[in-house]
Amino acid sequence: MPDDIRDAETVTPAVDAAPSASVVVDGLPPQNHTQGIVPDVPITTPDHVVAAGPAPKRGLRAMLPPFSGKLLIGLILTLGILLFAVLAPLLSQDPRYLKNASRLPPSSEHLLGTTASGADIFAQLAHGGLGSLMVGLLAGIIAVVLSLFFGVVSGYTGGWTNDLLSFVTNVMLVIPGLPLIIVISAYLESRSLVVIALVLGLTGWAGGAVVLRSQAKSLRSRDYVSAARVAGEKSGRIILVEILPNLLPLLTAQFLGAVLLAILGEAGLSYLGLGPSGSITWGTMLSEARAQNAFLDGSWWWYVPPGLLIALFGCGLALLNFSIDEIINPRLRTAPAAVKSVRVARKNRRAGKPAGPTASTRPSLDASTRDDEKVNA
Amino acid sequence: MRFFARRITFYLITLWAAISLNFAIPKMMPGDPKQLFMEKLMRKGIEITPGMQKSIDLLFGEDDSSLWDQYVSYLNNIFHGNLGVSTTFFPKPVTELIAAALPWTLGLMGIATIISFVLGIAGGAWVGWKRGTWVDHVIPASTLLQALPYFWLALILISTFAVTLQWFPVIGGYDIFSYDYGPEWSWSFVGSVIYHGTLPAMTIIISSVGGWLLGMRNMMVATLSEDYITTAEAKGLRPMRIARTYATRNAALPSIAGFGISLGFVVAGSVVMEEVFSYPGLGKLLFDAVRENDYALMQGVFLVITVAVLAANFIMDMIYGFIDPRTRHNA
Amino acid sequence: MIRSVARKRLLTAVALVTGVTMFAAGCSSSGDPKDDGGSGEARVLNVWAGTQTPVVANFNPYAPNPLHAANGAIYEPLFYYNKAKAGAPEPRLGEEFTWAEDGLSLTVTIREGVTWTDGKPFTVEDVVFSYSNDAAKSPFLESAEKVDDKTVKLTFNSPQFTGEVQFLGTTLMVPEHIWKDVADKATWANEAPVGTGPFTFDAVTDASYTVVANEDYWDGAPKVKKVRYLGVDENQSAENLLTTGKIDWAAMFVPDPERITGPGRLSMINTPQDPTVLYTCSTASQGCTGPQTDIAVRQALDLLVDRTEINEKAFAGQAAPASPTFALLGRDDRWISPDVEAESPQTADPAAAAKVLEGAGYTKGADGIYEKAGQKVELTLITVAGWTDYNTVGDLVASAAGDAGIKVTHEQVTQQEMSDMRVAGSFQLMVGGITGPSLDDPFQIYRQWLSTDYTQAVGTALESGDFNFARYSNPVLDAAVAEAAATNDEDAKKAAYATIQTEIARDLPYIPIVVNASQTFMDTKDFAGWPTEDNLYAFPPSWSTVSLGVVLSKLEPAAS
Repeated sequence: MPDDIRDAETVTPAVDAAPSASVVVDGLPPQNHTQGIVPDVPITTPDHVVAAGPAPKRGLRAMLPPFSGKLLIGLILTLGILLFAVLAPLLSQDPRYLKNASRLPPSSEHLLGTTASGADIFAQLAHGGLGSLMVGLLAGIIAVVLSLFFGVVSGYTGGWTNDLLSFVTNVMLVIPGLPLIIVISAYLESRSLVVIALVLGLTGWAGGAVVLRSQAKSLRSRDYVSAARVAGEKSGRIILVEILPNLLPLLTAQFLGAVLLAILGEAGLSYLGLGPSGSITWGTMLSEARAQNAFLDGSWWWYVPPGLLIALFGCGLALLNFSIDEIINPRLRTAPAAVKSVRVARKNRRAGKPAGPTASTRPSLDASTRDDEKVNA
Repeated sequence: MRFFARRITFYLITLWAAISLNFAIPKMMPGDPKQLFMEKLMRKGIEITPGMQKSIDLLFGEDDSSLWDQYVSYLNNIFHGNLGVSTTFFPKPVTELIAAALPWTLGLMGIATIISFVLGIAGGAWVGWKRGTWVDHVIPASTLLQALPYFWLALILISTFAVTLQWFPVIGGYDIFSYDYGPEWSWSFVGSVIYHGTLPAMTIIISSVGGWLLGMRNMMVATLSEDYITTAEAKGLRPMRIARTYATRNAALPSIAGFGISLGFVVAGSVVMEEVFSYPGLGKLLFDAVRENDYALMQGVFLVITVAVLAANFIMDMIYGFIDPRTRHNA
Repeated sequence: MIRSVARKRLLTAVALVTGVTMFAAGCSSSGDPKDDGGSGEARVLNVWAGTQTPVVANFNPYAPNPLHAANGAIYEPLFYYNKAKAGAPEPRLGEEFTWAEDGLSLTVTIREGVTWTDGKPFTVEDVVFSYSNDAAKSPFLESAEKVDDKTVKLTFNSPQFTGEVQFLGTTLMVPEHIWKDVADKATWANEAPVGTGPFTFDAVTDASYTVVANEDYWDGAPKVKKVRYLGVDENQSAENLLTTGKIDWAAMFVPDPERITGPGRLSMINTPQDPTVLYTCSTASQGCTGPQTDIAVRQALDLLVDRTEINEKAFAGQAAPASPTFALLGRDDRWISPDVEAESPQTADPAAAAKVLEGAGYTKGADGIYEKAGQKVELTLITVAGWTDYNTVGDLVASAAGDAGIKVTHEQVTQQEMSDMRVAGSFQLMVGGITGPSLDDPFQIYRQWLSTDYTQAVGTALESGDFNFARYSNPVLDAAVAEAAATNDEDAKKAAYATIQTEIARDLPYIPIVVNASQTFMDTKDFAGWPTEDNLYAFPPSWSTVSLGVVLSKLEPAAS
């Protein structure tokens, strides 16, 4: 019992799949997003308080994030870099072609100059993007799948399955991720992209599992889930059909977070010399730049672009996560808007203008905030 | 009371799991440490004299007993504080190396994390309070900061502030040129420690404050929409009073709960950073151990880090149980 | 909660003031690096020899990794062999030595009037002990006996002309009266060493250790009074310390040394020593498999690689040209046979390579790859992932060979795997180094890296001390090696070496690439007496055993 409440307070949803891994490389705190506990009772507001707002969205559109500046920036960054990673390799040199002169600064022929061995940096950046993103994607998928299993199955099933799976989750949560990754990587004989992604995914699912567990537990007591159970549907089908779709925003947020942390983790491992051997990623570029003294001899065109791209991609992911957060907890979106409208109204009143349409100080909770209006309801 | 008992049991079991994991990993992995050690010496151009060969053989002694016996003696050794001898820093015992490094890591990392936590919470509370204004546009900037690779930031800070501008020292926990006889308890030494710790602390603070800030901001916005805040406003309490006494305290709860986990991981995140700054902490020890395939040291540091994380979590759990009565009373 | 605003403000002010005071105190105390404690003494020499932090107090010369000052600054050998240039060994604690005709015994005269730093005299008994104690005893040594108060005689169980440098140049003299009671000589940390060298132990901390001048040194007290060895973990940090004026002597690879020497305080000297080569598993009769067992393929590879490009891209132009004789060009010129090309070809010659292959019966297939009797010439080249210089060499070799019709696949493996492959012989091509000899004579390479005694068949692991990774087995070479080992006559040795060099220049079991750079940075503005190109009286790097003692004893603060 106390653990339930504690879980509810402690680990907030809409966190990335692995808050423990979130501090893996960077010592970051877990993403403390808001309490997105799916409310049991739909929030209704008395009609006379609700001002004339937009018509409530139904169905799938209820699940999409509201459009905002942050979402736009996030999408531009993420999709932009993805496109770069996919298309740029087709337009650039072979990153392993070494017949160029070495250590050239940027020029029209080599947009970002060349490395110490004579490879084109822009080509390496493009192919490295593919490498880094693949590691991130794979690790993200592994982490989400594992946290799904350990979280939802344990939360829904309860009993001693819950106890066992919870125990494993808690142990994995508390054992420090990066040292474990370092120690395992040090012992591995061969380190390919897939193996690194595996190690990163395997060590980063615990935080997400805790979140999903508490969500699954609360969803279990819903009417429609009880109805399905009474109707005799198998647990597996209930989990798949009833519970999972409601967790979709959470899962997306976790996945995006896991991808970012995997990319940062791979960069850190490569810097330590434990990254994928033989592949080109942004992390291996940074590691080679350091080994060849680029940080000291002023060849910023070698070490700034990879780090910057990692940061920009991460920024985009974080902003997307932020927008997803706004679905899960609509107060994040409506509260600032409401406060702003209050301020605007005050200003208008002082200036003598008539009050605007959204004069109400209450956040207008339209039906799009009803989290229980599900796809299949 | 049951709450505490449950948590204590959980932590003890996790401790046992961590120790066993620490024992199991090297046994499962391939590799011959003795051969690697001699390889490394060769690569450095060092000739292996007969005397050296004898000491190497001694160091990497053969162990033919059964796995269970090894496990039991491993546990026994740990409880007697014997973590083996390091091959990189031969013949120093692992416990001595760790004991020397621990205060530096706890000091630098602990203080830097606390500073970034406090800054993040305060900043997040302010940004959350000012929701709906221009301050909201700070958010994308803090997400960018948060996504910067740790070591990349460290290297850039060094090359800018330490080498080019020479405002800060390049390496070390204290001024190694002035203290030939070791650290001493004087004001100038303490000052030297602070001076040398500034750049590393800056790296940690810059890259982690964003996360706390965002989380706190979101919680703040959510909390400020609660009914009791509206009631307080209606009752006419001063805004600052509401912000401090009602909103921030409640909004900070999840962050405080998460702080425990992150404090433990700070040691982990310090690995690369300490190496870059040659800062004499645990992270650098782990990195050195991995690079030199020094298995005894690697295991020792990993164990200590795990125990530190567990201890930090335990303390935070107790504190959390104390400040949030709901957890205790719902037993 | 601090309700009183005034009290809160007071606390904040106190915190601020304390912080600022400590900060200022720290800044001022770490201000001037040239101040060595304010006692008004001469400038301290700050050295980095590669030690990492935490510094472990271990001055035991029999341990695998003692602190550098132990090997030369504190303990000395009988003679100094300068591997930087050709010449006779310099007397240190020994004055003269004479070989018996058959090489089975060596008589050495000891310097008189030398004292240990604890005041006791250095005697022949110490010399005898230094050779015969269980940590130092060589398997080739039968006995070390005192002949009289000035002379010692070493007797061997086989002719040991070629072991001269090991016995006279690298065996350090330790005091019997201290070491005879040490039970386990290999693991004793020896934290307060007593030696005869120019410096004695002062202090050790986690971050550095210091040694001070031995005023009673037999060659005159050193003019540099205090030397501080720093613990620094990364080459980058060491470079930063060099450029910010904090280190005066360091040796490490820097691709652009002009950046460091440009400002004027520091100079650089480059003394390349160790060849970098392609190991080939060369002899089919030893169990090697693959196209590289055919001499023609190895010769073609030797002609295909562009050594100038490799030097520029993998070694930043700092490496020296290699010789197929493995004699160091310049220093070892007198040993190089006139019948052999002294220098490996520095540019690629694909036409010549094609001629060699086609002359041996290879034809180019439709895919551009040579083949013979249905077997394509496809090889795997191994390097250790993360050793960036070797990785680049591997990439360049693979690309050059591919263009010319030999398919070389460059595979990066972990160090453990590389080591396993090398020791077991389960590789085809591998980028690696050859350890240069400790004196101006390539014999060590010929014996340990090329003779059949020092190798095993593929599949049997090599023992430690056996370096013939290429599995080369050539009876002509073995006979010549035995001949050279049994004589001290220079002409006889030259003749034997000529035979050896003809064999290996033709067979190329190791394909030479470059001779690895060895850069040393020295503060020539504040200190004088460094080894220079014109006066290479010692091997310059700060980590070099025995040499570092010689350099330290000759340095002096520059007159300013």
